[in-house]
Amino acid sequence: MPSLFFLSPAKRSRQRDVWAVVAIGLALVVYGAISEDLGLVNTLGTVFMYVVLTQAWNILGGYGGYLNFGMVTYFGVGAYTTALFYQYFQVSPFLTTPLAGVAAAIFGILIGIPTLRLRGAYFAVVTMIITFAVQIAVLAFPFTQGAMGVYLSPLSLDPRAVEQLFYFVFFGLAVVTTILVYGIEHSNFGWALVAIREDEDAAEIIGVRTTEIKWIANALAAFLTGIAGGIYAERVLYIEPTSTFALDISLNVVLMAVIGGAASWKGPLIGAPLVLLVAQFLRVTITSEANRAIFSVIVILIALYVPAGVIGMIEEIRRRRALRRAKLAALAGSE
Amino acid sequence: MLNSLLYTLFEGSLLGMVYAIAALGLSLTMGIMGIVNVAHSAFIMLGSFFALELLERLGIDPIFSFFVALPAFFIFGALAYRVIVTRVERASQTQGLVALFGLMVLIESLSTMAWTTNTRVITAPYTNSHVVIAGITLASVNIIASALALLLLGAFWWFMRYTLTGRAIRAMGQDRTAARTLGIDVGKLSMLMFGLGIASAGAAGVAIGMVFPFAPQTQIEWLAWAFLIVILGGMGKVENTLIAGLFVGLLQTFATSILPFDYVYLLLYVGLAIVLVVRREGLIGAARRTI
Repeated sequence: MPSLFFLSPAKRSRQRDVWAVVAIGLALVVYGAISEDLGLVNTLGTVFMYVVLTQAWNILGGYGGYLNFGMVTYFGVGAYTTALFYQYFQVSPFLTTPLAGVAAAIFGILIGIPTLRLRGAYFAVVTMIITFAVQIAVLAFPFTQGAMGVYLSPLSLDPRAVEQLFYFVFFGLAVVTTILVYGIEHSNFGWALVAIREDEDAAEIIGVRTTEIKWIANALAAFLTGIAGGIYAERVLYIEPTSTFALDISLNVVLMAVIGGAASWKGPLIGAPLVLLVAQFLRVTITSEANRAIFSVIVILIALYVPAGVIGMIEEIRRRRALRRAKLAALAGSE
Repeated sequence: MLNSLLYTLFEGSLLGMVYAIAALGLSLTMGIMGIVNVAHSAFIMLGSFFALELLERLGIDPIFSFFVALPAFFIFGALAYRVIVTRVERASQTQGLVALFGLMVLIESLSTMAWTTNTRVITAPYTNSHVVIAGITLASVNIIASALALLLLGAFWWFMRYTLTGRAIRAMGQDRTAARTLGIDVGKLSMLMFGLGIASAGAAGVAIGMVFPFAPQTQIEWLAWAFLIVILGGMGKVENTLIAGLFVGLLQTFATSILPFDYVYLLLYVGLAIVLVVRREGLIGAARRTI
């Protein structure tokens, strides 16, 4: 009867997690407002951006078990949308960002319709292939200016204000995305996705509209990623096909989600900072290829031994501790 | 006019055979073991560097390296199977995909550390020579590479069709449990199959290195090509892989002769999307949806 003992500690630890995340969030708000260390503020801005991407990936990849190896496609589409609006109509990327999300979502639907009828592995590889196709298209089409790329004008603010602006914009996005994913995790939609991951045929039989749910999850992920991409364009001020559609971004997202723990709203909150901050630290001592190699070994080990990632490991430890405590309590009661 | 048409036809077929061996191992491991080996192209890239190193350090001809690569990469593959695949075979597909994805990133980053990101070419004695057949000039490397490819495809086809082991492997592909009941050692055969898949990837890498320039980070494009062929041809059959490879090769050369180079890739990828919509699991292979 172990489940009886777990019920309340599990609920309590869930609440504790939410409060811990809220506390860290508040601390980050204060830090962003007062910090003088622009380097760290910049890095944290990137961390928040990756939290958005990884959470977005998590919706279909973590809960649904459909791994997207080409998140950068949506990201790049978003970035090019705002950049081109600026290029041709001089509209600030901050205003056109919702359009970037919509453009990426339309793209997500176009990609999703053929690929999400297939089972997981096809989707994984096809999403990767589509990144190349889009990159080639952007290079070839005249209105995207090919390899020349698109320039945006810098904001007329002092450097600290600029760093703080992007820090808070990405922070806000990360908060919204995390709340959304938390909501999904505890909704029928999220459970339907989990059912798809566990056994798609069975899910279909019990009445889960599997294909439609996958389409929606993918479009939602594309929308969120597109928004992050749209703001990214204004942050880097210059985008061109090779670096904007870099496969590295897609790979990083998968690494972060898997290491942090997919299928939990907490996973990306651990994975993104862990990978980026450790990478930042390692880059000082060894080259970036080496830290990529280290992370890939970690990913292999996680896939083999702890599929639920760091967060899964923490939860496993908690569960064992709760079990031990329950046993002790039962012993004390019987004596 | 006729000459250029013939040239395109020959060139396309030659390239197609090379494409076919790039996809061979992927098709077999997917069709028979149900494992999507995303690290496949990383082994192809290793094969190209294997030939390059043998040529530059020991002066060994790539044709010879092609045959040396088979046992060498078989060992790699069997090792990867033992260390990684056995542990995720019975887990969810997602888990296996993540593990092999990690392997791909690992091989790529280690290769980048060893060989940098510079684009390399293999310069064998016959690299820049040409052969004139029926008034058409063809690069001799293309002919050599495609002959080697055809030989390998033939060997795999014969092995899968006529040897007892090959039949056992096909039986395992049809129904793993039934095969086990009949006394087939599925564990051992899976290792053999995975090893053979990687062996063919290594050999394909040698052939590809003879024809195309390569670098560690471009390996992923070969995954795209191999996957394209697997989707077109369906999984698990050597002859279908050859047909799909030839189709892609011909499509590419014909498209190149009328379109700018960039659009050829776009055309292929759009074609892929259409195939996915029309036929869920390939043009030749039958749809294998369980319900």
